[in-house]
Amino acid sequence: MEESVLTLGHVAVGYARQAILPDVNLNLRRGSFNGLLGANGSGKSTLIKTILGIIPPLSGRVEFALLDGRSVVLGYVPQRDSLDSIYLLSAFEVVLMGTCGRTRPGGRINLAEKQWAHQCLQETGADQLSRKLFSQLSGGQKQRVLIARALAARPDFLLLDEPTSGIDAAARQAVMELLRRIHTQQQLTILMASHDLPMVRTYVERVIWLHQGNVLQGSVAELLTAEKIEEILDLEMH
Amino acid sequence: METLKEIFDPNFLLRNSVYMSLLVGLACPLVGVYLLLRRLIFMGVALPQVSSCGIAFAFALHAWGVAPHFEGSEHTLAFVGSSLFTLTAILALSILERRGRSMVEGTLGTVYVLAGAWSILLLAKNPYGEHGLLDRLKGEIIAVSNSDLGWTFAAFALVVLASLIFQKEFMLVSFDREMAITLKKNVLFWDTLLFLLMGLTISMAVLSVGPLVTFGFLLLPPLTAHLLASNMRQFILGATAIGGVSALVGFYIAYRWDLPVGPTDVALLGAVYALALSAKRGLALLLKNRA
Repeated sequence: MEESVLTLGHVAVGYARQAILPDVNLNLRRGSFNGLLGANGSGKSTLIKTILGIIPPLSGRVEFALLDGRSVVLGYVPQRDSLDSIYLLSAFEVVLMGTCGRTRPGGRINLAEKQWAHQCLQETGADQLSRKLFSQLSGGQKQRVLIARALAARPDFLLLDEPTSGIDAAARQAVMELLRRIHTQQQLTILMASHDLPMVRTYVERVIWLHQGNVLQGSVAELLTAEKIEEILDLEMH
Repeated sequence: METLKEIFDPNFLLRNSVYMSLLVGLACPLVGVYLLLRRLIFMGVALPQVSSCGIAFAFALHAWGVAPHFEGSEHTLAFVGSSLFTLTAILALSILERRGRSMVEGTLGTVYVLAGAWSILLLAKNPYGEHGLLDRLKGEIIAVSNSDLGWTFAAFALVVLASLIFQKEFMLVSFDREMAITLKKNVLFWDTLLFLLMGLTISMAVLSVGPLVTFGFLLLPPLTAHLLASNMRQFILGATAIGGVSALVGFYIAYRWDLPVGPTDVALLGAVYALALSAKRGLALLLKNRA
């Protein structure tokens, strides 16, 4: 049996005691690349934030497995528009934030961590952006820097909230190729929220489809067939 | 030149006032930077007013005979009133900030107007406190005792030290709270510490120079520095430098032309901001035309 990294048992997800997804049961395998699909407002971001511990679940249990006897380290790529452009932070400083989890409060970030941050920028093809202001980067460039920041945390499990929304087709494909490479090379577990069905079909292995408060889970071959999509969309229209 | 020599003479009568202006000018922009970054400018307006209300309340207790009389009791009470009101308000407002910004703006407006009204009401019924508090409201920085200066220095030194040591944590929870949670940072603790430092700075500054000047130094130096800076270090150091230099130049102008120090400082900060804004816009226009 394949090792699971995350289990959600009867989790109710929502805000202010109002459940958007009343009963989520999920099991994510270690090293799998999962796409989280659903229409706008279906609860994709809320589910990701609940898994990350940003929003507490209304009920149920969110359990991470121990990996080699230690807790799972999470890497998070938020929607880039959620970050305020008033901060005069360089791309490198943004990536360096990813290492803060390993630095004691009040301590200085050491040279090894700084070199690691540079390495993460190189990994995402954003090393030439390191001295530029984060707020002045394009959508695709910001996304690369945010992925580098998530990698700087040395994660076992990478969660991305709409990493390809609002960027042009070339940048979108570049981001997805980058994620595929990271997944293959580092064997990371990935959960990526998206409403871009063709993109998800091309790149991910397993799909979680949020549909009218229900959660459908399966492989791309099972869930993203023309008949199944038609069935789900038809249900949504009715 | 003669006036400058006089001001920096160790035997200058208003020596403590110069030092107090400089301390406020250096410390307030340091916490003002976070108010600007977290888009909590309204908090910077409301909190000095709340602090003033705390002082008025303390003076009223004194006048009503509720608080004990002893040497220096007025100042101690004012400090306690100012700190208590400011810290309570800042903690309550920080909880609201976590729930949603629109809610904060309405609440801050209400807090500001109520604190202003209560300050006046408490003053109106307090013949003893009126004179001292009015001086503070006007921003007169004349009678500063050695002990006042010492306490203010100690408090601001603590704020500067904590801001430097924990800058990484304060920046992380301010820039991306969600990321901080995923990194297992205690966001509530760091937010509370930052707000406590803000509260301490504001209550000490209001006690020394009044709400108008405090707000001026909280807001204008960071706004000016943000126009000119190209990274966070320049922004923070620039804001502090603009505050410190303006406090000294403002004192010089006020002393030379016999003006109240606080309002002179704020007017000067306004002029520096306008100058920086015009320079930035002019430069942008020039570069655009060349291109």
